[in-house]
Amino acid sequence: MSRVIALCFLLLAAVIGLLHIDSRPAWAPFAINAVVITEEEVVLEPVPKSKTPSALIKPSIASPISTWLPDTGTPSVHAASLIALKDGGIRAFWFAGSREGAADVSIYSSTFDSKSSSWSAPVVVIDRVNAEKALSRYIAKLGNPVPARMADGRLQLFFVTVSVGGWAGSSISSMISDDEGLTWGVPQRLISSPLINLSTLVKSPAILFTDGRLGLPAYHEWIGRFGEFLRIDAGQVIDKRRMSSGRSAIQPLVFVNDAQDATAYFRQTRSAGQAKQVPVSQTQNAGQSWRVEPDLPIANPNSAVAGLQLNDGSRILVLNNRESGRYRLVLMMTDAKSQWQTIEVLEDDTALPEDQRKEFSYPYLITLDGNDAHLVYTWDRKKIHHRYFSGAWLKRAHVQLSASEVGNTPEEKKQ
Amino acid sequence: MNHLTQTIALMEMSITCAAVITLLLQKTFSQEFPLLAKLMLILILANLFFWPLGMGMELPLSAYVRGAVGDLSIVTTLLLWTSLLLASKPAPVAFKLVLTFIAIIFYPLALGFGMLDPYAWGYGSIPFFIAVLLFALVCGLANWNKGVWIIAIAILAWAVHWHESANLWDYLLDPFLAIWALLAIFGTLYRRRKDKARSGYLFRPG
Repeated sequence: MSRVIALCFLLLAAVIGLLHIDSRPAWAPFAINAVVITEEEVVLEPVPKSKTPSALIKPSIASPISTWLPDTGTPSVHAASLIALKDGGIRAFWFAGSREGAADVSIYSSTFDSKSSSWSAPVVVIDRVNAEKALSRYIAKLGNPVPARMADGRLQLFFVTVSVGGWAGSSISSMISDDEGLTWGVPQRLISSPLINLSTLVKSPAILFTDGRLGLPAYHEWIGRFGEFLRIDAGQVIDKRRMSSGRSAIQPLVFVNDAQDATAYFRQTRSAGQAKQVPVSQTQNAGQSWRVEPDLPIANPNSAVAGLQLNDGSRILVLNNRESGRYRLVLMMTDAKSQWQTIEVLEDDTALPEDQRKEFSYPYLITLDGNDAHLVYTWDRKKIHHRYFSGAWLKRAHVQLSASEVGNTPEEKKQ
Repeated sequence: MNHLTQTIALMEMSITCAAVITLLLQKTFSQEFPLLAKLMLILILANLFFWPLGMGMELPLSAYVRGAVGDLSIVTTLLLWTSLLLASKPAPVAFKLVLTFIAIIFYPLALGFGMLDPYAWGYGSIPFFIAVLLFALVCGLANWNKGVWIIAIAILAWAVHWHESANLWDYLLDPFLAIWALLAIFGTLYRRRKDKARSGYLFRPG
């Protein structure tokens, strides 16, 4: 008799479970042209501070402007990211503290006024103690803030927390803002790994599906080092798909080609003796399955890659195009017809002695109108550098790129 | 809703910590405590873990444990609680064997060995869900009704989003359950070997 009752209860659970599965949203295509339309035109006064202007760019085009994210009074800063605001401004996020991974590290934010080309005073978005109280679990350190624009217009900030161990023990949490990042709701934990939810991190921008949900490129770096594509519904993971496997590729950056097709570029983490180039994966069913493709023939020293698709069909990448060291950072461009080419050397300490070379890393790119590009990156772990490339500047670079393609050979195998 | 989920998770973890300490005390004293004593002990210890104690700590004790081990699966939680509080027969060795086999296959694949990720099935794969139901059915046919109840409750917990996870695997399995199953198998083998050796000694012709 007791067995019959138990089996009846199982039947009830089965029915409720099947109803639950049936209520789950089907996988949706990628949203195309999800560029945020700004409410006012962004006009930036040219400030000719470019360190090494490209020979390809004519002087008549405004040079990229250069600013620094505000000082937080802490010795170590890292992992800056950006989001376009509805008023045409930009909000930046980064973490800062006594050193990377220290208990005093907080996530900071500041807004950029494009009219005055200046950043507001930094404010703490969340610190370790507030994070652990909200998430009801011990947290040792914070890292990697990545903002996203939800389909309903709200901002969602993903960030990494670690309770035990190093970054490999990370989990992702997120919180939502109704007021463009002035205030934030209570953080929620994303569960994305079966082993104590260990080792899921985020670095690159999310993309939108047509059903309004977010696709978040994430990665694992404990035991395996591989990319994962998380399907996010507000504060929870509702599905995920593997983008690579093994121990060779993290921090996926996704370029959407069309509603079903996307390409992901990774930071390589291969062991010695293997190719130090940008690993690639491809999907043709809106991220439901990915297959590994041949590497992009651009050197990568195990450091993050940032990228952007522009309205004119060109794509740009910012990365350290070396097999080792993060002391050279370049802006590269391609379009459907040409190879990736360096159009601007952003930082280069190659000529300096090894002990004087600085680290330029963790680039993050956004566009406000689909034509321009705002870039932030870590500058020697002490500051965050912000660079702005106008639409006209990038357009000219694109034209020059197409013209120079004739007779050129791919240059980026190794510099 | 989020606040409720966090409170429930901390309560579960507090009771689980109390249950583990009670089990360890029983082992230490090599005797089974009376049910009332166990209940009182769990009540006191669980409160100790659940409420903030101050003394320089930012969080309740259970939040520190939760930070280290995450949320335990419903199956682990219920197996632990019922083994302490209900007089029922222990989990069959076959259950532990199958659990160990699944864990040995599942964890390497889920942690990046190859492109196949069985963990993703837990978000809403109907074949996986049917496999879980069949597993529970076999538990029932093997006359281990507790297993049927526990798996059914885990499915219901997943359907109502009881924990933070939306993945059915997280309600069914965790590494601690897999380690327990593996150790229990070794324990059973050791006991059988010992019993066999003893019986061999007793009946050896003198």
